[in-house]
Amino acid sequence: MKPKVAFFDFASCEGCQLAVLNCEDILLDILGLVDIVEFREAMSETAPRFDVAFIEGSINREQDAERLRDIRARSTYLVAMGACACIGNVQARSNFIAPAENFQRVYGVEDRNMVQTDPEFWPLWAHTRVRAVKEIVPVDFELRGCPLVPEEFVHLVKALVTGATPRFSTQAVCVECKMNENECVYDQGETCMGQITRGGCKAICITNGYRCDGCRGILPHANLAAHHGLLQSKGLSEPQITNRYRLFCSAESLGRVGRTGHDK
Amino acid sequence: MSAFFVHKEAVTQWIRHLARSNTVYFPQRAGQSGFRFKPVKETTEIQFDRYQPTLAPPGKKLAPAEEPLFRYRKQGDAAPELVPILDQSPRILAGVRPCDLKGIHLMDRANREGHGDPHYLTRRTHTILIAHDCLQPCDDSCFCDAVGSLGWRDNADLFLTSLEDHILIEVRTGPGETLIQGMNFPVCTDVAAVKSRAEAQRAQPFGRQFHADLARIPAIIASQWQAPVWEKQVERCFSCGSCNLVCPTCYCFDVHDDFDLTDPNAGQRTRTWDGCMLPQFAEVAGGHNFRPNPAARQRHRVKRKFEYLTERFAEGSFCTGCGRCGRQCTTDIDIFNIVNDLIDHAEANS
Repeated sequence: MKPKVAFFDFASCEGCQLAVLNCEDILLDILGLVDIVEFREAMSETAPRFDVAFIEGSINREQDAERLRDIRARSTYLVAMGACACIGNVQARSNFIAPAENFQRVYGVEDRNMVQTDPEFWPLWAHTRVRAVKEIVPVDFELRGCPLVPEEFVHLVKALVTGATPRFSTQAVCVECKMNENECVYDQGETCMGQITRGGCKAICITNGYRCDGCRGILPHANLAAHHGLLQSKGLSEPQITNRYRLFCSAESLGRVGRTGHDK
Repeated sequence: MSAFFVHKEAVTQWIRHLARSNTVYFPQRAGQSGFRFKPVKETTEIQFDRYQPTLAPPGKKLAPAEEPLFRYRKQGDAAPELVPILDQSPRILAGVRPCDLKGIHLMDRANREGHGDPHYLTRRTHTILIAHDCLQPCDDSCFCDAVGSLGWRDNADLFLTSLEDHILIEVRTGPGETLIQGMNFPVCTDVAAVKSRAEAQRAQPFGRQFHADLARIPAIIASQWQAPVWEKQVERCFSCGSCNLVCPTCYCFDVHDDFDLTDPNAGQRTRTWDGCMLPQFAEVAGGHNFRPNPAARQRHRVKRKFEYLTERFAEGSFCTGCGRCGRQCTTDIDIFNIVNDLIDHAEANS
């Protein structure tokens, strides 16, 4: 019997699900290996149990956390899919701003006060921290990146259906950048997060003329002191450096970089 | 063997002529600071004078970053059927500088050892090398003279030396000869005179020099296992592996199997570059890592280039002095400085 696979989205742009659907040329081959039983972006059916649940998006509200726990309880394997699910992504930048200030910025003073005075608004207080999936439930596998890398998705599906251990890069983006024989971003007078960021993306941004902004998260062995010093030596101010570190890696980088930095 | 003294313009036309019926790689400007070995097209600028070591060394054309090794298919209990994938497409690497020529020589030594690597050796057999001498150091990072690469020519099929607006073409092998056939180039009647005129233009000293003779360096490094230099030199290291991946003599790789979506019993084994500065390089089953910290990895890398491999293959150095690792390190960790620091430390403590 083919494994039952489901896709769920939380706070995200659904771009990762789109990236999966964009595997058009091999999508039918994948459907030969698995049964997709829930996938809001593509179908309306639902199912009670799943062999593999793919979770897209960060967890912003307590009711989302409850829904996630329920999915976890009904799944054999749970996969965090994309930067939002894995590390919080750009929306987790709000974690560095006091909730009241945040509400005021978005909704104005009057509505900010409603959150305090009106019981109907109280549940919004639960939205005080944008969380990665692993902060709430155990995660078996991570498909990192904004968006995820389709080749890694296919690789994971293959590994799951055969019981093999999937391989994901724990090397710096520089490895694949050098494999592509790119001119280093630093030699073009720019700065880059590649040396401290998890690879596996084939250095796609640099290969296409941009820099690495670190969407796959900070490497466990990252030499942050050296990287911080390097960015300073290239003339970046402390607020600029903090912004670079927090752009994608917000939830993950908390406590690791930029504790004393600014986020304006 | 024969030699010709040819106007640069005619050499340029000859390279273009070769490129019409062959795949000819020649160093071409890439981005703001670098060069890449890329196939020559009709519009390619071919010039011999302005050069910086390419981002990747030309020898990597013989061992690409990712290459399929074989296809497999398993049916029932029978032994799997294996079909090797060998790249027999002929190619010419032109404008290869002596440091990289020596890099290819050292890659040949390593890949011919033992059973030999059929994938590398098949490409190598179908490759012709047109080298070009250096009369000036490429930049401040180069130290080819210090490691004995300057003027290296042993494995060149054709060896070129620029002298003002002419180029001396020395034919060194049969395959090299075939590339010259029919060109009617003017024969060089006094090769020694042309070479000595070129030699006279060579910078002295040529690039950076070590604080000790190359012959003494393996023993010095062997004596410095516990030197504080290793720790000091990795304070700024990211363990990103760039120094390995741009090195003309780094040949380590990893392999993985990938089955076909349409048939899980069939698939392909692929190898990709690996590097000893990457944290997981020396990790084994069970999770033990023989070199868990950057200092231990850096020591291993330096000892490979200046001690282990030089002794195993009786070569003066497995570092070619091309300077790529130091040039492309974003925090300027330079193997040349590491070796000099080790020499200084050894002298100070002897």
